Amino acid sequence: MSTRADTVGIVGAGTFGTALGSMLARHGRRVILWSRDASIVAAIQQTRRSPRLPDAQLPEPLEATADPKRLASEARFLVMAVSSKDVRDRARELGDVIDGSHIVVHAIGALPAPANRAGTHLVNERVSEILLEGMATQKVGVLAGPALPQDLTSKAYSSMVIASRFDEVVDEGRRLLSAPPALRVYTSKDLIGVELASALSGAYTVALGLADGLDTPIGARAVLITRAIAEASRLGQAAGAEARTFSGLAGLGNLLVRSQGDKSADYLLGRRLAEGIVTADGGRTEGARAALAAVELASSLRVRMPVLQGIAAVLLGTLEPREAAQQIGDTVAFEE
Amino acid sequence: MTGVMARDARPVREAENRLEKFNTDRERLLSEVARRVVARRVAESKTGGDSSLEYVLNDVAFCEIRRLEASGEGSDRWKDLSRRLLGMSDDDKREELRSLVRHYGKDVVGNFDPRVYKFATGIGPSLLGFLFSPTANIKEGMNSLRHLDARIHADGETEVARACAERGTLIVTPTHSSNMDSPAIGLGLTRAGLPPTTYGAGKNLFTNPFLSFFMRNLGAYRVDRRLKFELYKDVLKEYSTVLLEHGYHSLFFPGGTRCRSNIIEKNLKLGLLGTSVTAYKNSVREGAPNKRLYILPVTINYRLVLEAETLIDDYLAEVGKSRYIITDDEFSRVGRILEFFRKILAHEGSVVVRFGRPLDVFGNDVTDDGESIDRAGRIVDPASFVKGADGEVVDDDQRDAEYTRALGRRLAAAYPRLTVFHSTHLVARAVWDNICQNAGTRDIYRLLRAPTGHLEVPVGAVLRSIDRLRARLLENPAYGAEHPLHTSQSSSDKLDTGVHGLSTYHTRPILLRTNEMMTALDLKLLYYYQNRTAHIPGEAS
Repeated sequence: MSTRADTVGIVGAGTFGTALGSMLARHGRRVILWSRDASIVAAIQQTRRSPRLPDAQLPEPLEATADPKRLASEARFLVMAVSSKDVRDRARELGDVIDGSHIVVHAIGALPAPANRAGTHLVNERVSEILLEGMATQKVGVLAGPALPQDLTSKAYSSMVIASRFDEVVDEGRRLLSAPPALRVYTSKDLIGVELASALSGAYTVALGLADGLDTPIGARAVLITRAIAEASRLGQAAGAEARTFSGLAGLGNLLVRSQGDKSADYLLGRRLAEGIVTADGGRTEGARAALAAVELASSLRVRMPVLQGIAAVLLGTLEPREAAQQIGDTVAFEE
Repeated sequence: MTGVMARDARPVREAENRLEKFNTDRERLLSEVARRVVARRVAESKTGGDSSLEYVLNDVAFCEIRRLEASGEGSDRWKDLSRRLLGMSDDDKREELRSLVRHYGKDVVGNFDPRVYKFATGIGPSLLGFLFSPTANIKEGMNSLRHLDARIHADGETEVARACAERGTLIVTPTHSSNMDSPAIGLGLTRAGLPPTTYGAGKNLFTNPFLSFFMRNLGAYRVDRRLKFELYKDVLKEYSTVLLEHGYHSLFFPGGTRCRSNIIEKNLKLGLLGTSVTAYKNSVREGAPNKRLYILPVTINYRLVLEAETLIDDYLAEVGKSRYIITDDEFSRVGRILEFFRKILAHEGSVVVRFGRPLDVFGNDVTDDGESIDRAGRIVDPASFVKGADGEVVDDDQRDAEYTRALGRRLAAAYPRLTVFHSTHLVARAVWDNICQNAGTRDIYRLLRAPTGHLEVPVGAVLRSIDRLRARLLENPAYGAEHPLHTSQSSSDKLDTGVHGLSTYHTRPILLRTNEMMTALDLKLLYYYQNRTAHIPGEAS
């Protein structure tokens, strides 16, 4: 097997991309990290440290470059780890240098930002669809799950799931990214499900932050989590996904890990909402954007989603947090 | 849309007819098919289980015995094979496999006789109408079909299609409404200056000796849908692959069988379409990545459909369980065919064949000169789609199936925009909308039980519906377009010609117009014709 086939290219030198690259390099995998920020590239190359992940020493097999052509020529398997706001631009840039043989997997647990300010959210658009719009290759996939950057760099046990319609994407992802016990990679064919589950877990993290901010009892909190997974599964099924994906690593796994600490922007947004601070558009998190987009999707697919609708109403300022919590609590129970 | 041809315009440059060398190639093609299928099956048999030769041969024998016994024919040859299988050596099994592959290959393979082609197209394309005259009374048929050619209007992206036909090999993929489609697309290709194609035609169409004569000699190959075993499908797919690799322009109906409902096809059958990816991959492996293949979406749009009554009955009888092969429809009745030509094809442009923009085999768009481009408009190398990390060609059936699904989605998305609406469709939709409003439902089964009062609608309301429908078509080219020769017609004239068409050909009138009211007399057929507009959402939504 050639060096190119065994190299992982990472698009974006943010916290997650750098942590993933660091962990893989530690396990002997050759990694090329592409950043548009020349200072980050220089820092990594010269000091083996990144300002985005200052505590981590980056092993030698990890190289950084500001040249996308080099990334595409030296790695066929690429992981896109950028913010959902940047995904369109990065896909276009990457599209200039890759061909139909490349594999592109994204690790973006959100729904993409609208194409333009004036337009409303394209409700059926997922990140993989943005990738397909922007580049030649059809071999796209998603990497999701409860692997936090600190887990990847601290050699803790973590797991993610890779999903694609192409077996080749899933098989190559598993081969190139598996580094047990630091990272075990599970596989799935349910691209839509894993993308939606991952994005919705951000939305429900906002809900959990809000519930905690309102001092919701632990039993009601558990109900909130299970009902969130149930309604997310309904939405997923209506959108062509498998229901069980939502109780897997990308759905329940992500939700549990994001809602446990105080480092998640989505969780902190929920806490601030509970305190009565309604944030303006610019300050919304990926989870908040996912909530608003998913409510539109649910409406177009005629899926009942009381939790998500409650959160969206709070985000839009049409309901007070306690009113939303009351409404969610008052939802008529059907067969589970 | 560019390249719309004037009605009587002939293209400046006609594409080369590669089928002229087909007969010289035929034996070589057949041998190549047999060699590949046998080699693959023998290689796979080493894994044992379902792939073992014993299983493969038994599958053939079992399916043939069942088919022949069901039709009351003798099945001794297959019973004998079944009995001998256990005692056969590996060499015997390989020999039997070779013999069967050769047998089915010969059954499938077509023929092209340049003299027949010249006769059919040179003397006058109207003679292609002869295909529809499986009758002793040829003279009458010929007279009634004399002007068939003028009734076919071909337009669309014909310039790009011709450029692609020169550069590579075309795979023409039309919608499928009628058994008339094969000759209609044949004439459409001729009028657009595009080359004739080979195509797979259901074996049931070969039962008529006249029809069979022309089809056999104009490049059609036989597809026997009764043969369900994998070995036969292998032979068929390999034959198609080899034809494409050798540069023979081909035609597949991706909808599979004729569309029963008249709704623009969405769920395409991808079996033969998938051979395009295999053929291109083989060419890349052989060092010929520039032997490009192009998928050409086409719609065939009839003012009225010969077999409409049978098709919609079949669709409504039990949705999803309709008959795959129909042998007793209007196409098998000489009188109905002649009636069709006399009454329906009396109208100019009764059939519009609209060509779309070609795609490559991975569903990518192409430039005017046939270069593949990605969705952002950048030139891409199609060969890269089948290559691995080091530029080597990689075999991956699952990947190729996924590419074919993507291609199928692109094709299905292309059809609505290419749809051409005759007055019959517009009138049917307008009346249908009004009836649905009266009855408070769009469910055909409920409407079939609705009180007759609901089936009466004022002419004024229908006219207003036609006006609005035409305005929406102008605003939304993605829905399709009005007939290009009749865009200046008033809605009132549309109503007159539409009602005339809908009330004169089928065994009973679909609509009755009396002064200020219109009554639906045959709701099923009204539903069938309005279904052509089914992709256009209701006004309220």
